[in-house]
Amino acid sequence: MSKKLALTLLCFITYFAFGFQNPKSSKWVISKNCSLKVAGSTNINKFNCDITNYYKPDTLNIYQSSGNHPVKISGKMELEISQFDCHNPVMTADLRKTLKAKTYPTLTINFVSLDRYPNFKNANGELKGKVNIALAGVNKAFDVNYRYNKTAADAIALVGTQRVNFSDFKIIPPRKLGGMIETNDELDIQFVLQLKIIN
Amino acid sequence: MKKVFTAGLIAGLVLFVLSYGGLYLSVRFFPSLFIEYNSPLFNSDGSRDLLFYLHPFIFSFALSWFWARFRKLLKGPLLLRGIEFGLIYAFTALLPVMWITFSSLDVAIGTVSSWLLYGLLQAIFAGIVFAKINP
Repeated sequence: MSKKLALTLLCFITYFAFGFQNPKSSKWVISKNCSLKVAGSTNINKFNCDITNYYKPDTLNIYQSSGNHPVKISGKMELEISQFDCHNPVMTADLRKTLKAKTYPTLTINFVSLDRYPNFKNANGELKGKVNIALAGVNKAFDVNYRYNKTAADAIALVGTQRVNFSDFKIIPPRKLGGMIETNDELDIQFVLQLKIIN
Repeated sequence: MKKVFTAGLIAGLVLFVLSYGGLYLSVRFFPSLFIEYNSPLFNSDGSRDLLFYLHPFIFSFALSWFWARFRKLLKGPLLLRGIEFGLIYAFTALLPVMWITFSSLDVAIGTVSSWLLYGLLQAIFAGIVFAKINP
């Protein structure tokens, strides 16, 4: 009887000590100077469009579980398509038209997960994660490569990059003059989030 | 009437090859001249491609009729008649249209000038074809 009790107690102790840990949560507050860059090309030129100085006070909620499980995130970045600047009025107007800015005025990046919680003991590092991007009325999931740099004791710059296609969002890449000028389907997206970490 | 149609058709084929061949080579070798065509002013969904590629035939049939009515006023060798025909078209039809285009649309002077030159060359080639087929 005492053996059974001892065994049960041992199991409990082991479980609480090593097996069961409450998921920890932290908050990453989106600070000023966030940005989104989109790079693409046509058969006659390249274009780089960006939204700089994005700032909508928002918080990413980070839920860490034990071990090497992915870290769940809730939070989003919501950008106005009309804020895109391609540094050339012609290209800016064309991008806004292509992305159907009048019908779908926002581009939303919903953060879903990270493959692990960043190790902030290091000044920088790399991660992978998942996001959902909503553009032109289509919502699509993407894997994203992240790079983070520690900018202060409690702040990081999180840079996410991903190649997407116009066709992922059911957008037909623009073609002019009967197809003599064609925009390539691929777009490279890079977003930079300046985050303040609150544990 | 048959000659007007035949001359129009042949000129249309010649212009189709020259116009789009020239355009293709220009886009390939002078891409910077075409940056402005990324403007939303230009149709971008491909829905009007057929109309775009029919342009040489619309152009050649209209000019073939015009040639049939006024060809006797144009004298001299083949090339000279073609050039004069092109200049008449450019000054009476193209220049006023380009003028109103530039004054009302947000297009660069270089772009409008290139359209004027493009139309002039098309009309000269059409005139040479007409002078040969329907003298």
